[in-house]
Amino acid sequence: MESNKKYWKGLEELKNTSDFVDNNKNEFAEPLPIEDVLNEAGLSTVTPRRDFLKALGFGLGAVTLAACQPGPVSKSIPYLVKPEDVTPGIPNFYVSSYNGQSILVKTREGRPIKIEPNPNAGRFSHGTDAPTQASVLDLYDVSKLKAPVLKGSETTWSKIDQYVKTELVKAQSSGRGIRIVSGTITSPSAQRVIADFIKAYPSTRHIQYDAISYTGIIKANENSFGKAVLPKYNFDKADLIVSFAADFLGTWISSEEFTVQYVSNRNDQALKNGKMSRHFQFEAGMSVTGTNADTRIPIKLSEQGPALVTLYNAITGNNLAGGVLPNNTSAEKAIKLLGKELVQSKGRGLVVCGSNDVSTQILVNAINSAIGSYGTTIDLDNPSKKYAGNDAEFAALVNEMNAGQVGAVFILDANPGYDSYNAKAFTTALSKVPLKVSFADRSDETAKLCDVIAINQNYLESWGDANVYEGVYSVVQPTINPVFNSRQVEESLLIWSNAPVTEYYQYVKNNWEANILPGLGKTWNDLLQTGIFFAPAKPAGAYTFSMSLATVVPTVLNNSKSLAKDIELQLYENGAMRGGRYANNAYLQELPDAVTKVTWDNYIAMGPKFAQKLGYNEFDVVTVKGANGYSIDLPVLIQPGQADGTASIALGYGRTKSGKVGDMVGKDAYPFLSLANGTLQYATTVTTTKTGDTYELAQTQTHHSYEGRNIIRESTFTEYTKNPSTGSGNHGEKHKSYDLWDTFEKPGNNWVMAIDLNACTGCGSCIVACNVENNIPVVGRDEVRRRREMHWIRIDRYYSFVEDGKNVTEEREIEELKNMDNVSVIHQPMLCQHCDHAPCETVCPVLATVHSSDGLNHMAYNRCVGTRYCANNCPYKVRRFNWFNYWNDSRFDNYLNNEFTQLVLNPDVTARSRGVMEKCTMCIQRIQTGKLEAKLEKRPLKDGDIQMACQQACPANAIIFGDGNDPESKVSKALKSERVYYVLEEINTQPGIGYMTKIKNTDSSQA
Amino acid sequence: MSGHNESILREPLITGHDITYAKITNDILSPVENKPNKAWWIGFIVSALGATLWLFAVSYTFWNGIGSWGLNKTVGWAWDITGFVWWVGIGHAGTLISAVLLLFRQNWRNSINRSAEAMTIFAVICAATYVVSHMGRPWLAYWVLPLPNQFGSLWVNFNSPLVWDMFAISTYFSVSLLFWYTGLLPDMASIRDRATGFRRRIYSVLSFGWTGNVKTWQRFEAVSLILAGIATPLVLSVHTIVSMDFATSVIPGWHTTIFPPYFVAGAIFSGFAMVQTLLLVTRKVLGLENYITMFHIESMNKIILVTGSIVGVAYLTEFFIAFYSGSEYEQYTFLNRFIGPYWWAGCMMYGCNILMTQLMWFKKVRTNIPLSWILSIIVNIGMWFERFVIIVVSLHRDYLPSSWAMFYPTWVDVSVFVGSIGVFFTLFLLFLRVMPSIAIAEVKLLLKTSSEQAKLSQIKTGHVEVAYVSEYVDSLEKFDSVKQEEYAKI
Repeated sequence: MESNKKYWKGLEELKNTSDFVDNNKNEFAEPLPIEDVLNEAGLSTVTPRRDFLKALGFGLGAVTLAACQPGPVSKSIPYLVKPEDVTPGIPNFYVSSYNGQSILVKTREGRPIKIEPNPNAGRFSHGTDAPTQASVLDLYDVSKLKAPVLKGSETTWSKIDQYVKTELVKAQSSGRGIRIVSGTITSPSAQRVIADFIKAYPSTRHIQYDAISYTGIIKANENSFGKAVLPKYNFDKADLIVSFAADFLGTWISSEEFTVQYVSNRNDQALKNGKMSRHFQFEAGMSVTGTNADTRIPIKLSEQGPALVTLYNAITGNNLAGGVLPNNTSAEKAIKLLGKELVQSKGRGLVVCGSNDVSTQILVNAINSAIGSYGTTIDLDNPSKKYAGNDAEFAALVNEMNAGQVGAVFILDANPGYDSYNAKAFTTALSKVPLKVSFADRSDETAKLCDVIAINQNYLESWGDANVYEGVYSVVQPTINPVFNSRQVEESLLIWSNAPVTEYYQYVKNNWEANILPGLGKTWNDLLQTGIFFAPAKPAGAYTFSMSLATVVPTVLNNSKSLAKDIELQLYENGAMRGGRYANNAYLQELPDAVTKVTWDNYIAMGPKFAQKLGYNEFDVVTVKGANGYSIDLPVLIQPGQADGTASIALGYGRTKSGKVGDMVGKDAYPFLSLANGTLQYATTVTTTKTGDTYELAQTQTHHSYEGRNIIRESTFTEYTKNPSTGSGNHGEKHKSYDLWDTFEKPGNNWVMAIDLNACTGCGSCIVACNVENNIPVVGRDEVRRRREMHWIRIDRYYSFVEDGKNVTEEREIEELKNMDNVSVIHQPMLCQHCDHAPCETVCPVLATVHSSDGLNHMAYNRCVGTRYCANNCPYKVRRFNWFNYWNDSRFDNYLNNEFTQLVLNPDVTARSRGVMEKCTMCIQRIQTGKLEAKLEKRPLKDGDIQMACQQACPANAIIFGDGNDPESKVSKALKSERVYYVLEEINTQPGIGYMTKIKNTDSSQA
Repeated sequence: MSGHNESILREPLITGHDITYAKITNDILSPVENKPNKAWWIGFIVSALGATLWLFAVSYTFWNGIGSWGLNKTVGWAWDITGFVWWVGIGHAGTLISAVLLLFRQNWRNSINRSAEAMTIFAVICAATYVVSHMGRPWLAYWVLPLPNQFGSLWVNFNSPLVWDMFAISTYFSVSLLFWYTGLLPDMASIRDRATGFRRRIYSVLSFGWTGNVKTWQRFEAVSLILAGIATPLVLSVHTIVSMDFATSVIPGWHTTIFPPYFVAGAIFSGFAMVQTLLLVTRKVLGLENYITMFHIESMNKIILVTGSIVGVAYLTEFFIAFYSGSEYEQYTFLNRFIGPYWWAGCMMYGCNILMTQLMWFKKVRTNIPLSWILSIIVNIGMWFERFVIIVVSLHRDYLPSSWAMFYPTWVDVSVFVGSIGVFFTLFLLFLRVMPSIAIAEVKLLLKTSSEQAKLSQIKTGHVEVAYVSEYVDSLEKFDSVKQEEYAKI
């Protein structure tokens, strides 16, 4: 039906006037006064209300549109074409190896950010040492060169190649030798590259030397058994370990591996099986190993020879002259008793010695042979290849260079201008060589003297392989494209020797496929997946020492005698710097020394009584003067347990060309080294004089006794066998807690931890792992001095003393002790205890720290206003405050604070701003990842799915983490141990971390 | 309070002979209405320099972070919270004088309450600056307030003593300010009535249109009483809550149930010492000896003695409980105050607060102005050290010896504290110039009954027993503002 109704808007429309008809043709019924407004007169016209509203509307719209401009351009660029294996937010893991350790490299969006042990690496799958954890930072080191250098200026590789090749031909034709100087090369492919190079330039010789040399052991084995090898030691097979200054849990040969072996006879499992090895340590300076020994007896450096002779006599019943320790009767008595016990435990004993002296090591070989160690605890048939340096060859090289017989020197993976014996002589000699090529990644002490710096790549950018033990092969694979214009040293050598294959990846692969894989029955792809292959081990032969000791013993005794004057100085490698290699690694510089807790410096360690005798106080700066006239000024550190009359200085400090972080940290002690009988001697004599200055060392712990408090609970093995809960108060299975309030339920998981104090050696690997995992800032020496280090996990180290059979733990009583030699040391890892009654939680005004239903103490950085009450109220003092904006403050530029180095940051963990509190989160990002993975795979979480960074890095497996709600989990079982106690449980904080008592195996010997 | 004759045995609260209402107004308003003298200028310039130092040091802290202070992982509070508690404590005397003594009808408070209250306000301001400046992220300080917000369901933690503290301090500040300003109203009107021009306009606004009629006075009295009633519990509650900042923790040396009464006594102790410090100078410089007399000085000294002794008993109790508890941590903490590396701080605390105040038992000491002043300073120092010992010395060696550390202040720590004293005195000196430092109206109330001249006329009318008179005359001997020779003839 058609409507007759007509709607109209106005009378004009109804009437349909002619005006209306005309106007209706236009879009707007009335003309808009835009012209009027826009022309100059318009500005003065009176704007009608409607126009005003229009203008307002337009203005508002325009302004709104203008404000809709996109934000600042972000630098992150999404993948245009997504690489097949890379999903943003999901890490990729690559097997590789470093320093003889089989590792997994975790990468995120193409950046390596964390090193983890390779779980499929058999006996190498337990943890890593601290330098390996920290090594990822070396990739992002700003002090590295960005392009190769020719005669002091950056250049291109083609120019380098041209120059080197021309010079090589010249050197070759001049009849002068070509020398490759390197640290020990464990890579079979690299060894082949060098062999190829030697083929191309026949006057080439390859000389290996190690800053911390093991030539003495190798030569001694050659001498004793005709095998020039570094043996494989089996500490796990030894029930009685006697070490003469071998720091096998700290730095000696493969300490991380020895830790695994050593702890297997001493951890909770071993104790439950009623077994515990005994460990005696005779040494001058306090080493990590010494702190773990059941009995540690300080002996002077000059007493080591006579002590070994005494032991030899006691074992064999011989009566070689010199086997007396007239000034150390307690040591002599102990050694004589030990001799008998070693004989009794035939085949289950092991004697090791840290000396690099051939004669001394021959004597040790004789001892080990007499107690039947060969074939059981010492394996000469599957030897370690980690160190193969030859001190004498290196010394000969310096003479050669001085004589002008060397036409070219290639220096790779070595810094002889700093860390070799008599570096000064080396640098002078080096200047006489026409072609000097360094493969350093920076202009270091040696490279700066070279014509060419053919910058090498970091191991995370490189292809390679390693053969650290006989029959153990592992791969090194790149995890990132080379960041700078660098080239792998092997590739450079291949190019210069005009090899047919110069691409090193292809070369390694060819080498494996031709020489290694067929013997193992594996493929290259298998290798890239598992990372490490083991050839069947050869049977370890039982070698017998049958040489004469007629010349050996007098040499040993004479060496000892020559040390018996002035102050006997021990030069040692410490766990972080490793002879100076890691000087520019900020994580390692700030890693407290396991024993002294000093960061960022070296020092001269002296015993308390000896320092008192010399009139030195702690931190007094003294001038240390060597026999060769070299002198340095170092602060004194009072070290309980340091043998009277001796002092110790760590090597690896005082570098001048390591980079921003490591330059001028500490003093260089290498010039104190001497060469005797073809090996480097790390013992010498010095004199000291007080300078009158003082220098405060940056220590993370300044009080060293535990004041008799039951935070440390220890017992002896005899007591333990009588009653396993001795000393602990038996809080394992019977542990109860009391509440005034209703407890909160933990329906899902209850994350808890168990720490075995008998397994922890104090090495500090967990600290670095935690730093890397959780983006913990490095604060530098001054801030550590102010006691502001940021470490979430620390290792508390306490000294106590035994006098008249009683344990003296209180500072005031310790000060009155007459004899301070019987020092006993304990390491206690300390981190957030995730208390169920957390004192920190109740006091936070803004609820920035709260408890989760899975037993964790959370920290919401964004909510924190920084009152620091939580830290004050934490009885464990594990909370760390961001005093400054460490990630964006020019005062911290030396460490991690630059755009390049910050690429190491873990994107799963917030970098904290200034003014907020932080602390151990129990790697909550790992818990979250583990949960999500299980959820995606539609399965419940399994015990062991989630590992803490500290737990993963710990070679001793001292840290066990897991779900306390799962009665079958490892941690639940561990926490039921009779040895478990909770630190400060009497204040009812109900900590989530249980500690297992420290057990020392001291009683059965009278030593 | 007027209209009857006060006993002659009571010492006069106003001395002088020709005191009239007009003279009281003239005397008290003279610093407000005249150009400042040299002494004021010197004091003001020094204080202002201190305030500038404070401004600089606090700005430096804000710019660089709390790291510019000497704190560390073990000692998370030091000069900041020491300063905070010290200033809050000082504030307490003002409230006690104005509220508690009002309720107890202690007339002698009338001469000193105004300055004491002003001191309270300024001390609380100084304390409040620490509350904000000690935070790691001071720009988020408002998060400790339970404000409705859009952060989700984020709320404050009502379990935290710091939240209680925030309530306590803000309540305290607002009530004190209200009380103080209410009391100021009639006096502001007095200034207004005598002023001309622009000053008059300002003071008319400040006096809220005070008319002075009976109804106004009646309401004024009522409001004063009500506010006194509200303020009285604050005297106890504020420092109780401040003490809970420590008492509710688990740290040995902090975790102590005696803290609330101990802190309140300590607060009054230190507050009276500060009032003494200020008024002994003010009365001399501003010539107010007739209104702030020896009686006031001695009364305050007596309070210092009493509260100081209470604090002393608290100290002894703490030591006994540490011994009796059998807790090795507690025992070590208290032993550490004497034999630890901070033994000197412990000695300052116990020496200044207990030993020195015991001198007040002697009347000669109590009525000796220079000695009183020195002792008041000693108490201020001692009480600062008390807080330092409680905070730093308890924290620096708590449970795990591995974390034991020393605290060394930086120049910023020192500057913020010294600067806060500058801020305090700047405010106080400005107050002296713009507001009457003695409550004019309230002092006038005393003129007819409790003044020296009223008592003299009482004596002269001869209705008082001779023995009483001689005792009264004897009591006047200590007054430095009484002309003793006038009484010789009586």
